[in-house]
Amino acid sequence: MDSIINPYLLFVGLAVAGVGVAMAVPRKRVNPQVIGAVIAGVGLGVVLLGLALANLDAIPNLHFYVFGLIALGASLRVVTHPRPVYAALYFILSVLASCGLYVVLSAEFMAFALVIIYAGAILITYLFVIMLATQSPSEERVEVLAEYDVEGRRPVLATIASFVLLAGVTSLMFKGTAGLEPAGGDDRAAEVLVDAAREPTNTESIGVDLLLGRPGTIEIAGVILLMAMLGATVLARRQVDLEDEAKHRAAEQLAARGGLVREEVQA
Amino acid sequence: MTDLVTMAQSSWPEPMAPATLAAYLLLSGAMFAIGLVGFLTRRNLIVMFLCTELMFQAAGIALVAFSRFHLNHTGQTFVIFVLTVAAAEAALALALVVLLFRQKDSLSASVWREMKG
Amino acid sequence: MGAILDMLCSTMPGAATLASVQHAPAGASEGAWWVMLIPGLPILAVLLVTGCAIVDIRGKIPAWITVGSLAAAFGVTLATYLEYSGGTAITYGFRWIDFAWGAGEGQRFVADFAFYVDSLTCLWMLFVTGLATLIALYASEYMEHDIGPNYCRFFAAFGLFVFSMACLVMGDNLVLLFLGWEGVGLCSYLLIGYFFKKDSAVQAAKKAFVMNRIGDLGLLIGIFLTFAQFGTVKYAELFELVGPYLELVREGRVGEVPVLVQIIPVLFMIGAFGKSAQLPLYVWLPDAMEGPTPVSALIHAATMVTAGVYLIARTYPLFLVSGWALPIVAWVGALTALLSATIGMAQFDIKRIMAYSTVSQLGYMFCGLAVLSSAGAAFHVFTHAFFKATLFLCCGAVMHGFAGQLDLRKLSGVMKMSGWGIVGGAMLVGCLNLAGVPGTAGYFSKDMILAESFVTPGPGYQAIGWILLITAGMTAYYTFRVFFRVFVGPEYFEPGDEHHGDDDHGHDHSHAGGHGHFHPHAPGWAINLVLAVLAVGSIAAAGAYFVDRGHHGWVGGLVHASTANYEEGSAAFLYHIDDSTEIVAPVDGADGHAEAGEHAEDAHGAHGTILGLDPHAVMYYISAVFGLGGILAAAWLHGPKGAWGLGLGSRTEAAHSRADALMDAMQPVARWAQHKWYVDEFYDFVIVRPLRVLAHAFHVIDKLLVDGLVNGVGALPRLIASRVRPLQSGELHGYAAGMAVGIAGLVLTVWIVLAGVSG
Repeated sequence: MDSIINPYLLFVGLAVAGVGVAMAVPRKRVNPQVIGAVIAGVGLGVVLLGLALANLDAIPNLHFYVFGLIALGASLRVVTHPRPVYAALYFILSVLASCGLYVVLSAEFMAFALVIIYAGAILITYLFVIMLATQSPSEERVEVLAEYDVEGRRPVLATIASFVLLAGVTSLMFKGTAGLEPAGGDDRAAEVLVDAAREPTNTESIGVDLLLGRPGTIEIAGVILLMAMLGATVLARRQVDLEDEAKHRAAEQLAARGGLVREEVQA
Repeated sequence: MTDLVTMAQSSWPEPMAPATLAAYLLLSGAMFAIGLVGFLTRRNLIVMFLCTELMFQAAGIALVAFSRFHLNHTGQTFVIFVLTVAAAEAALALALVVLLFRQKDSLSASVWREMKG
Repeated sequence: MGAILDMLCSTMPGAATLASVQHAPAGASEGAWWVMLIPGLPILAVLLVTGCAIVDIRGKIPAWITVGSLAAAFGVTLATYLEYSGGTAITYGFRWIDFAWGAGEGQRFVADFAFYVDSLTCLWMLFVTGLATLIALYASEYMEHDIGPNYCRFFAAFGLFVFSMACLVMGDNLVLLFLGWEGVGLCSYLLIGYFFKKDSAVQAAKKAFVMNRIGDLGLLIGIFLTFAQFGTVKYAELFELVGPYLELVREGRVGEVPVLVQIIPVLFMIGAFGKSAQLPLYVWLPDAMEGPTPVSALIHAATMVTAGVYLIARTYPLFLVSGWALPIVAWVGALTALLSATIGMAQFDIKRIMAYSTVSQLGYMFCGLAVLSSAGAAFHVFTHAFFKATLFLCCGAVMHGFAGQLDLRKLSGVMKMSGWGIVGGAMLVGCLNLAGVPGTAGYFSKDMILAESFVTPGPGYQAIGWILLITAGMTAYYTFRVFFRVFVGPEYFEPGDEHHGDDDHGHDHSHAGGHGHFHPHAPGWAINLVLAVLAVGSIAAAGAYFVDRGHHGWVGGLVHASTANYEEGSAAFLYHIDDSTEIVAPVDGADGHAEAGEHAEDAHGAHGTILGLDPHAVMYYISAVFGLGGILAAAWLHGPKGAWGLGLGSRTEAAHSRADALMDAMQPVARWAQHKWYVDEFYDFVIVRPLRVLAHAFHVIDKLLVDGLVNGVGALPRLIASRVRPLQSGELHGYAAGMAVGIAGLVLTVWIVLAGVSG
């Protein structure tokens, strides 16, 4: 571990980052989100800097830092933005940054697949759902923020739990990677390297790996997707009885907008 | 940008140093931690699901980084399955969210407390 | 009658095939099937009486059924006696228990439901069935206030008792004897607890049962050991196997008899002490008087309590080869006789006096067996059965007539009241017998035992003789104390409180002349008839002494013809004594006592004679002196003025007599005797209390430790759950946080462990 990064530096950096994230979580009154984000960035930056300085011969290239910064910033925004729509949009940004990282890691097929599936398909679904499931703005208050969106729940506790976990995992991982031989020392990996040289592209290799190596898994994945589709269909088709409270609220909204008299609704 | 293109298109890259992998893993871990913080603090069901997606994303980065480190495609293949699961989860979970919202007219996770799940 | 029954038998095809199977071992003939009727008829009566109870018959039909069947059983017994008393016959019923756990020797346990008939059996069954018939007749009147289901219950238990007693006495093996043994114990329990709504009766029944269990354990272990040692529990085979040991004893090689064989009779003896109420275990018998009086008369005076005597007589050969059993029996018997006589002298409840007298007389019987006078013991059992039954039934009649009054201070001159003549006469006959007045049956039977105890060499047998003599005097005193106070003198009575209280002190709130509205009802024909028959029987029993002089009377002859006979020089303990004094001189037993005296004179000086005279001759006079002396003492202390007090008495009231002054004079002793020497309290203190304390301790341990453990195990999940339950709030975030913290904890643990390993 100490060959990769000084553990105290790691812990201190993560602690600072944790404080920053905790500050960035939405609150009702005092809401130092920007300061929190900066602090978090400083904390993580310290760690990455430490990592780079400790291993000057293995500094990742510049793209890593650019995409990493975007990804983390977008992630933080996803988590802290009080409006779900923006959160979803920031998530797309985060996905795109991740795709950049994928490309840096020579996984261009996965990068594009991610853009198409995640940013293209899944996130659109999210946006639709957000549209379906948010209360429509009234005339007086164009932008209604639900109470549950405004305030985070126990941010300090959550941050401590998460960053302790992160500190533990990273310190364990850094301890472990020190003992790992890079590929090339591994015969099988070398063989693959030799055989695959020049001829198949990354995408072809993945296809081969996927279809030849894990046909059963693909089938299972297909079944899962099918079931998910069926389940979603069933759930979406169901007619739901509104609870009294919800009915009441809907009626109120309708009354406020469409001029229906309150008493009528009551009757 | 040439660097990027080279990496993506050229023949097999050089083996990656452990310290480089460590940087990726740190990034992935930080992203996961942020996702977890979000999941624990946010009350909006949709945002909570977004946070889980974020954690999937972090796991994906770690998997691809390992794939690159070991110079095989297993990690990338795994990401495909992560995507599959994420998609399925999104489909079902979002359908559920819609259903729940229609019943309670609220996206707060707390309003379903009485289910005692 | 046997011939008639045989003819009947031949007309029954099933019985014929039964009889054609040869089961009797060598030396015993095949018994006829109708011997089975002796236990069969009573059990039939039990079934019929139970039927009566089911159809709810109100009337005396159950009594008549019982009396009839018992009378028939007596008839069959008489036929059996006439047919088989000369030899041994075995009537085979069916194979009762048969299991093997290997093909080898002693690996098969067999017990037949078969009946062993010899003269000893006949003797016992004659008076058991005879007395049972008479007492059932008596009970038909005595129990009439209970007509209904309880009447049926009484007679069912009564019949069951006779059945059990028949199994006990006639059983072909020790297991069948044990069945009967437990059966009579059960019936005793049921009948003592007959008035089960009365707490004292329930307690007495429990006491009897528990005390008997202690003895029964000894008997049971004895039976086990018998099987382990001899490989059989059948008498016929057993006695053949004991033969060689008897031979050894006769040759003076007592040391070669295996110790186990010598221990078996000691265990039997413990059983006998329990059933026959001997010293450590006697306390149940006086309390057993809580039962109805006919039960006291039949079970607790005449028959069941002699089962112990029977057991020893039946297995007499085993006792003869043991060096320890008979001396212990002798000493226990003598001490029991003395102790219970002293208690009997101080009691006021006439039924209890009779109970202690029974215990005392049983002590005599045991002594008789132990001093090698099995004939004397059997004769005493026989005569005692008659006169003690008489006495009890007289007490019962008084109790019946005076609403449960049993306190001799509150009754007087009963004999003079109209309708009580027969009761008084029977009582007088019984008292004379018990007191051992010359010429009565009790006199002869007691003398046989007394004389033998003086002549038989044994550990301290001379002293036993003197103890028994003194006891005889005491017996005469307390017997006539009852007679003088209750049956003669000025007429006076206080009625009891319907359900008779056993407690002497229960009626201290006596108000003089409290018989204003109460009229004692004199006994009816059934009671009078039974009492008359029994009184005559008691007198006639004396005649049995003169029938077969060669064997000391009719009973002696019967015993002589059975295995209970003592043959010269076959008692092991005599040799033990002689070994210690280095003189080998087998002493003659039942027969030639003149020679015995001579031999003994050489060997031990004083042994064998009393004051230098032939013991049998001189004992007639000595015991007469003691007996009459006791009577005169009773007359002087308790007798009324006038002829019935023999001119010595001075009592003019019911309650006051010269004895009161005497009692006051020897106050502590008198009080102790009245409180039965505090034996019950002693047992309570030594055994019951510690056990109770122990039980309480274990109760506490059970509650705290065991229950605590069990409840704790039950409460633990609840406790944990009560802490954990709030975690399931239904709040999604709570679960997620729990998961995150859990994983973080896990990772940290792994990290710490790895750091520890690498560091």
